[in-house]
Amino acid sequence: MTKIFSILLTITFLLSISCKEKLPLDKDLTKKSYNLIDQDNNEVVFPEIIKGHIIVMGFIYTHCPDICPMTTHNMYLIEKELKNEGITNVKFVALSFDPDRDTPDVLKKFAEVRELDFKSWTLLTGEKTTVNDLLKRFDVKAIKTDESIDEDGNSEYSMMHTDRISLVDENSILRKNYKGSTINIEEIVKDIKILED
Amino acid sequence: MNILLSILFVLFPPENKIKINNPWMRPSSEKMATALYFVIENQSEKADTLFQVDSDLAEKVEIHETYSEGDMMGMRKVDFVVIGGKSLFELKPGAHHIMLMKLKKNINDGDKGEFVLHFKQAGEIKITAMAKK
Repeated sequence: MTKIFSILLTITFLLSISCKEKLPLDKDLTKKSYNLIDQDNNEVVFPEIIKGHIIVMGFIYTHCPDICPMTTHNMYLIEKELKNEGITNVKFVALSFDPDRDTPDVLKKFAEVRELDFKSWTLLTGEKTTVNDLLKRFDVKAIKTDESIDEDGNSEYSMMHTDRISLVDENSILRKNYKGSTINIEEIVKDIKILED
Repeated sequence: MNILLSILFVLFPPENKIKINNPWMRPSSEKMATALYFVIENQSEKADTLFQVDSDLAEKVEIHETYSEGDMMGMRKVDFVVIGGKSLFELKPGAHHIMLMKLKKNINDGDKGEFVLHFKQAGEIKITAMAKK
């Protein structure tokens, strides 16, 4: 009997190690708070707003025509797949790394035209220094490229940026990073199931 | 002679050797940007060059490419793309695309837009693309 118990204990231990290997990161996001603004112009505090939920977090700028829409669409597909699997305790957060242009109103329109559901989606912007601080926490970089001034005197630019979707657990611990534009939907859904167990 | 050639041109127009397949674009909102994608099929033995795209949907239309450096992704304008003889060139997400800047109106899922593609050999080709997620 003791032998069987030892074997079961060993199997459980090995399984827990194997799960940790699948989710390689363990970065606590609760050590610092960030005052941000959501798409409805509400002041929110990160990570308090995500507490208690598994979070799929994307990093975007709305003037991006290619990579960021791919990332956003992949998050939409993840949500769809999770719904099919009956998993509901997952929220979707998109943080803009272009707060100068991505005002709450711009973020809201970006979400509406893509038919994102605000019950599960939050789009965030904020003061540039705060946003940059939070980006550093996620090891996300974004720099302006090809900057010029248009006829109306407005600054026009593209951004070179980290291509990223991150998975954060219910305790606001960053657990895994993925390439946002080409993420394997099955892989992240599997990882979310590990967090749910 | 010119009149004769014109009559022949009208009666027997040259078959266009460039075919545009699967044009589509992503939904986006007014004043923002989006991308147009399609596959260019060059049925001619000769290479051709796409050097300009026009559309009433946006204030500015450019040919762009997405590129990566490490885990960073960026985008830059290119002046043209060359489609080799008897070959395909795909403008697709994460690669070459037509960038529409400062959209004049919202483009919603299912909306259609018209574009004129300018090729050095094949001349102007009009296409219609539908917006899809």
